Amino acid sequence: MNAPLQTLNEMQRATSPFPESVTVKDWKATGRKVIGWVNPYVPEEIIHAAGMLPFQVAGDNEPVQMQGAEAYIYSNTCSYIRTCWQLQLDGKYGFLDGLVSCSFCDQDKRLYSVWEYYKKLPYMDILYAPRKRDEEAVHLYLGDLEDFRDRLSQCRLSRIPDRDVANSIRVYNRGRELMHRLYELRKRDRPPVTGAEALEVSKAAARLPRERFNELMEQLLDEIQRTGRQIKKARRLMVIGSDLHNTNQVAALETLDAVVVVDEMNCGIRYAWGQVDTQLPPMEALARYYVLGRPVDMHTWNSDGRLEFIGEMAEQYKVDGIISEIVRFCTYNGWDKFDLKKQMAQRGIPILELDLEYGHPAGAQVKIRAEAFMEMLESRAG
Amino acid sequence: MSDASLITTEELATRLKMAAEGIKKVPGLMKSSVGYMELLQKYVERIATAKEKGKFVATHGTQQPIEIYEAMDVVGVFNEFWGVVSDVVKLESVPEALSISASTGTPGEVCSFFRNMDGLLHVGKWPRTDFFLYATSSCDNVKAFHTLGRRYGIASFGMERPHYPFTSRALDFWKNEHKRLIAFLEEQTGKKLDYDRLKETVRLSYRLTEICLEIDKLVAHVPSPMSSECFGGVLLALRLMCGTQDAVDFLTGLRDELQERVDNGIGAVKEERFRVMWSSFTPFFDPKLMGFMQQKYGAVSVCEMLARWRGESKWMLDPDDPLGNLAYRTQLAPGNCQYAPSIDWAENSVAQARIFTADGAIFNNNWGCKQAAGLGPIVRDELLRHCGVPTLTIACDVIDNTFTSRADIEAQLDGFFEMLEGSKAYQERRAHA
Repeated sequence: MNAPLQTLNEMQRATSPFPESVTVKDWKATGRKVIGWVNPYVPEEIIHAAGMLPFQVAGDNEPVQMQGAEAYIYSNTCSYIRTCWQLQLDGKYGFLDGLVSCSFCDQDKRLYSVWEYYKKLPYMDILYAPRKRDEEAVHLYLGDLEDFRDRLSQCRLSRIPDRDVANSIRVYNRGRELMHRLYELRKRDRPPVTGAEALEVSKAAARLPRERFNELMEQLLDEIQRTGRQIKKARRLMVIGSDLHNTNQVAALETLDAVVVVDEMNCGIRYAWGQVDTQLPPMEALARYYVLGRPVDMHTWNSDGRLEFIGEMAEQYKVDGIISEIVRFCTYNGWDKFDLKKQMAQRGIPILELDLEYGHPAGAQVKIRAEAFMEMLESRAG
Repeated sequence: MSDASLITTEELATRLKMAAEGIKKVPGLMKSSVGYMELLQKYVERIATAKEKGKFVATHGTQQPIEIYEAMDVVGVFNEFWGVVSDVVKLESVPEALSISASTGTPGEVCSFFRNMDGLLHVGKWPRTDFFLYATSSCDNVKAFHTLGRRYGIASFGMERPHYPFTSRALDFWKNEHKRLIAFLEEQTGKKLDYDRLKETVRLSYRLTEICLEIDKLVAHVPSPMSSECFGGVLLALRLMCGTQDAVDFLTGLRDELQERVDNGIGAVKEERFRVMWSSFTPFFDPKLMGFMQQKYGAVSVCEMLARWRGESKWMLDPDDPLGNLAYRTQLAPGNCQYAPSIDWAENSVAQARIFTADGAIFNNNWGCKQAAGLGPIVRDELLRHCGVPTLTIACDVIDNTFTSRADIEAQLDGFFEMLEGSKAYQERRAHA
């Protein structure tokens, strides 16, 4: 049994209670603003360069009852979106000074509209998330980023200069580099952290001032090195699909003599991926990174690259099987299902498909299916 | 898995022809109902015979510049419409296609317009298609065009649209996307676009817009002269046949008939008791529902958001710049604001409710539509706040007749119209009518 990671405990303390944590309270106490962001095409660097705290709007480890939200967003919307809105209705996001979203999917777009209509914040903005990955898309997105910078500059009554954006890029690049190092360590036969712990790290990155997160991340990597921590589990798993923020969902899988060594989530490996090019003008560099610099995601029309990325990661991390979890009503994941299964079959990688409600703990049915999947993996290994 | 109930293109064309003939014998219907059915049949017939005539066929999503297809002799198949027209003549086809789609692993929560296409493609009963065309001025489901294109070896091209469509930067970008579409079509067909021909299809399309606006004025009359059997005609002409003389001819005839009915004081029903707006879409899943509402409640459908232009819609900015006009047209087009910020749709709904003096709105909340699920409550609240127009929200599937029972819908309508009749806003409106 490994001892708990002290640094991770500190990350969790600093991000608790959720969402208005001690860190958020301290930040606000100095008169600075907190801007919520909703999806992976909102560049935190620009918010950071404005001297504001970017904070990812999401759920956490407790399931949320969403009946109140359904008066504003019908129940055939994904439970991630309804959870976010319910938390707002419950007053949990009362600390936000602004919200920035992207039309990443229909539902993100509608969450933004609902927020704007029923609970308008002092600063609100929305960008377009290109569905293609080409020069035209970069050009389109860059235009939106410049508009975003202009409007946020107006909000703080002074221009956000290029040099501040460049500095923020360096800070965030450092964070990505450190997170990526942790991913690399998970390639080991005996990874130093569980999937649940790694998810807690990613969540902290999206909730803490990035400089503080980077310090903690360095400490965490030192601690791992110092303690020689190893997770000894029989099976290696990959989790793909919708973003999860309830760590218990991953922890439940890891009670089954398995460890999640990699994922394909926007809040996971994509969040830790690559570097913004510091040789380019900073705004262009951001546009290039966000459109072209990360692995293809589910919202991209041509998702062939996404499926290839999943296959490659599964092989690099030597996974025994993939857990594909889809939050119900996710259109993008829905349309990838057929080809995903086919391509993983061609690679000889078993896949378990789970339909989940966002944030809700794995029920008995999920557990039974996961157990059966583990047995199947065991028989293959045998 | 049975596919016996699936409708084929040829069967669809034949049944529509029979329906057009049959309608001529039904007493009491608007004359234009025959023209409507004939236009529908013509649309399907073009698709059914495209290959033997050596034409290219494009299956496309919503909000496309169909005028370009017309100018390039490419026959369009609007994927959403295919399920709608299937329902007109054979309600059993869509549920069966959806079952087949489910058997491939496609989840039931995605839009059934696309699942219907998925199922029919899987068993080879979708119209033969050379390429898929789509845009982000639609929904997330257009990803299916790429996905299914890859699966079945069909080339595809998607156009990106910025989130806020009416800025000059957005319109420039969008116009450039039209150029890229043309380049794609030229490459696929091996033919160059004749810009003079495009000017002509754009001119016809603009004429269609003008006639639509004239029709709107007539339909807004109290009592409304438009009866349910012709209600879908405007949508058909605008969304599927724009850029064609056939569509102009049909709408001209419809407009003249409506004028005649207004002049003679003929309404859709003898006693118009309620004026209904469809604040998302009409009940495609139950083609007879609007007729039933007219008969049972005296509830006349006066407007729907998918076929009503906003404002004066003067999108012909420069006759010598057909692409610039088209880029603007496809943004202004009816239904386009459904894919824009919700408040845009809601404000349009309020404007339409005022123009058509609607008493109540019905919002069909399509199970597979995430756009609607998020904007429905805002539309509902805006209509009530600004015009005192209450909304009935019906949980449904856009084309799957089996999703919600007719009995359930009738029970909801009973309660809604009873409530409406007793409301102060309704009584005041009626007093002024």
